[in-house]
Amino acid sequence: MMLTLSLVGKDVVVELKNDLSICGTLHSVDQYLNIKLTDISVTDPEKYPHMLSVKNCFIRGSVVRYVQLPADEVDTQLLQDAARKEAMQQKQ
Amino acid sequence: MKYSRVWRRGDDSCVKSMLTCTCLCTSQQAKDVCQPEWPENGGEWSDGEDGTNMDCGLLQAMAEEDEEIDVHNEETFGMDLDVHGTTEAPGDLLQFGDLPPPPPPPPPPPELKPPSPHGSPSPPRQRPQYLSRAPPGQRGRGRAQRGGLGRGQMFDDPAVMRTVQGRPSIKGLDSAIVDCGDAMYQNTFEDDYMAPSSRKTRRVSGSILQDSAIVCVIDGHRGQHPTSNFLDTPYPVSPFRGRRGELRGSYPRRQFGHRGLSRMHPSVVPGSPILSRQPLTPRQHYNQTGGFMFPTNRPCPSTQSLPPKMMQHRFGANSPRPSPIYSPSSNSVQHFRYPGPVTQLHPQHKRLLSQKQRIFQRKPDNWDPYCNLMTAKEKEWITRLQMIQLQSEHPYLEDYYYQEYYRRIEAKMAEEELGIRGKREPLKLTTPYITKTDSYTPVVHIEGSLGQVAVSTCYSPRRAISAVHAVQGKGPHEEQKDIRQQRLEVLSKIEKLFVVLLEVEETERMKTTVLSEAEERRLREKTQAKVQHIYSQLQHHEPLDSGGEFLPFLLVSKGKRLLARLLPFLKQDTALRILSIVTCNLPTLMSRDTEEALPVLYPPLRNVIGGLTFSQLIEALKDFTSDSLTCESLTLACQNKFGLSLLYALLSHGEKLLSSGVPLEPSIGDFETWTDTIFQVAGQLSQCSLVEPLLLPSNLLTLFCRYLDKRTVHQLKSNMESATGYLALPS
Repeated sequence: MMLTLSLVGKDVVVELKNDLSICGTLHSVDQYLNIKLTDISVTDPEKYPHMLSVKNCFIRGSVVRYVQLPADEVDTQLLQDAARKEAMQQKQ
Repeated sequence: MKYSRVWRRGDDSCVKSMLTCTCLCTSQQAKDVCQPEWPENGGEWSDGEDGTNMDCGLLQAMAEEDEEIDVHNEETFGMDLDVHGTTEAPGDLLQFGDLPPPPPPPPPPPELKPPSPHGSPSPPRQRPQYLSRAPPGQRGRGRAQRGGLGRGQMFDDPAVMRTVQGRPSIKGLDSAIVDCGDAMYQNTFEDDYMAPSSRKTRRVSGSILQDSAIVCVIDGHRGQHPTSNFLDTPYPVSPFRGRRGELRGSYPRRQFGHRGLSRMHPSVVPGSPILSRQPLTPRQHYNQTGGFMFPTNRPCPSTQSLPPKMMQHRFGANSPRPSPIYSPSSNSVQHFRYPGPVTQLHPQHKRLLSQKQRIFQRKPDNWDPYCNLMTAKEKEWITRLQMIQLQSEHPYLEDYYYQEYYRRIEAKMAEEELGIRGKREPLKLTTPYITKTDSYTPVVHIEGSLGQVAVSTCYSPRRAISAVHAVQGKGPHEEQKDIRQQRLEVLSKIEKLFVVLLEVEETERMKTTVLSEAEERRLREKTQAKVQHIYSQLQHHEPLDSGGEFLPFLLVSKGKRLLARLLPFLKQDTALRILSIVTCNLPTLMSRDTEEALPVLYPPLRNVIGGLTFSQLIEALKDFTSDSLTCESLTLACQNKFGLSLLYALLSHGEKLLSSGVPLEPSIGDFETWTDTIFQVAGQLSQCSLVEPLLLPSNLLTLFCRYLDKRTVHQLKSNMESATGYLALPS
C-alpha cells in the first residue's frame, strides 16, 4: 500500500475485474486499496460510454484487478526487495 | 391453481380487496371487535368452488366489494388513503373486517392488511379468488377447517382483506415487498418464529391497514389450528415444489409446539432481500400461518394435506422454517414505517407498476405500490438461485446446527405423535443433494509456467503460485522440461539468496548505529557468514554441467542483480574471481543478455577493477583478448555497452596504474601483454563502430597517445566520440 501511497498524484490505469480500464490521476488510497481517481477517462475503446461524463470516481478495492503504474515512478528493484521482505515477515 | 384468479382484473380497482389478506390480528379483543365483513355465511361458501372460477360475475362482485372496502377505509382511515387515483376508495389496502386498526403491541407491525370485508358482504365472498388458494381440491378442505372458526374467521377468501386472526403477512410489514401475486412471504413466519408463546391473535394494526404493502392474503387463523397440516409459507421456492421431498435447506421451520400447531414458518429464502426485510412481529398471530394466500400464479403445493389456503409451499416432508431470517429482523419491522396509503411514487415507479399490473393479476396501485415488481418467473428464478446456493454435499458439515436440530425435533415428534400422520412433522427445507462432485485439479501445471497455475475454486479461492520444481526423471521428451526446471531452480535459489542479501544489507545499514566492539564484531561475522553462504551457493550449482561457477546465475538477470549487490560485500579475492568469470564468459553473457541487465554489473565491477594490481589487470585483459583467433570477444565487446565499458574500465585502470608512479610489480611479460593489448584494442576500436559506453574514462586517449601514432589516435578519438556524442577526451 505504501507503494500506491507514493504514487498519489501520478497517473495510473486501473483495470477492474469487469475488464474496464480507467485512466486517471490517483487521488487517494486506503488500507483496502480503495482508489479515488480524478480526471478519469476510459482508456480502451470507449465501449463504456456511461463513463463519459464521469470525472472523478471511487473504486472499491475488491474490484480492482490491476493497477498499472508509470514505469518511471516506480523503483522496481526497491519494490522487489520490499516484496521479499514482506514475504520474509509473513513466513516468520 | 388459480392464483391467477382475481387479479385478472383489468382495472385497478380490482384487487385491493384480494390481496393481502393476511389476517393480522393484533389483539384478541380486536378479534372480537372485528366483524368480518365477509359474509357470515362463510360456511356456505361452496367448497366446490374452483379458484379458476373467475368469471364476470365474480369480478363484478369483487368490484362491489372493493367499493365497500373503500368505504370502509374511508371511514376508518380517512380520505387520504387513495392516493393513486384509483377508482377504489382509499384505504383499500388493509381492510380489516371492521376492525379499527388496533395498535399492535409493539410498534405496529405493518403487517398484512387483511382485507376487510367491510360493509355489506357481497355474495360472492367465497371468492375463489384467492390468489394463493390452494388447488381447488384443497379448498374444500380448508373451508372445512375453517368451519369451526366462526364468523371472525371468514377470511377464506384471500381477496378479502380481513384478517381477524391472522398473522400479519410479512409483506404487509414491508411496503416494499409486494407482489401479492407471489406472496412469497408469509407473514406467518414471523409469528411463529418470534413469539411462540403469544397466541394472541392480533388484528392488524391500523397502520397495517394502511399499508399498501400488505399483499398476502392470509387465511389465517381461522381454524388454524393445528391444522397445521399446512405449512405455510409461501415460500418462494415454488419452483421447487416438485422436489419437495428432496429439498433440504437451511430454512428450518420452527415448530411451535406449544401452540399446538405445527405451523411452520414459511420457508424463506434466506438470502432473499425481501424476506429479510420482513419484519417479524412476534406478536403476530401464529395462527395465521396457515392462511397464506398467494395471489400468485403458482400452483399451490399439491399435497393433499394442505389446506386450501396454503400457499405455503412445502418442500419435502419437513421443510424447516427459515427462522434465522426472522429473528433479527423481527425488531426491525417494528420500526418500519409504511408509506401508508398515500405513497408518492416516483413516476417511473408508477409507470412500472402499472405496467406490471397489466401483466399480472394485479392489485390496485394504491394498494400496493411495490407489488408485481418482479414477474413470477423472475421470482422463481431467484428462488432457484438461492436454493442452488443451499445445495451442499456435506450438510452435516456445513449446517450442523440445522441438521442436528431438526433431527432431534423429528425424533421427538416421532416419539410423541406416533399416531398422527406426520402432521406435526417439522418442516424442513431440503435442497437437492449434490451427488456428483466435480473433481478439480487443484494444481494445474501448464507447460512453460512458473510453478503451478492458480486454479480458483470455492474451497481454495486462490492458490499461490509457487516456484516448485518437481524433480522429474529425465527422458527424451523431457529435455526441454529439464531446462525449464533448471531455470526454475535457479530462480528459486536466487530468491532465497536474495532474502539473505537483504538481511546483509540491512545489517550494513544498521552499522551506522554505535555498537559495542563485541557486538560489531559479531555482526560482522554474521554478515560475512551470510555473504559467504551466498557466494558459495552461487558458485556451485547443481547440476554442475551448467557451465561453471556462477554462470547459471549470471545468465539470469535476477542473478546479475544479486551478484551486483553482493559484490561490495565480497573480499577482493572473491570479487576478482567473479570478475574473471565475467570476462571469460563475456561473449556468452553478452549474447544471452536479452534483458540488458549486464550494465547493472558495471559499477561494482568497476570498483573491483579499481582495486586490481597490474598483474591482475593483465590477467583480466588476457581474457578479453586471448579468445579465439578472430578476437571475437573483442569485437563483440565493442558492440556491447557493457563489454565496451568493461574494456574501457580495464584500460583506464591500467593507464592509471602506469601513470601513477606506483611500483607496479609486474610479472614477466606483463608489459608486453599490456602493449599488445593496447594495440589490439586500438585497432579494433578504430575499425568497428562503437556503441556508447556506460562510462568513458577520460584517460583513455592519453593511454593511446602513449603507444600509438597521432593518426591512429585521431581516428580512435573520432570513433569514440562519435559513439558517445560528445567530446569526451582531451585531444
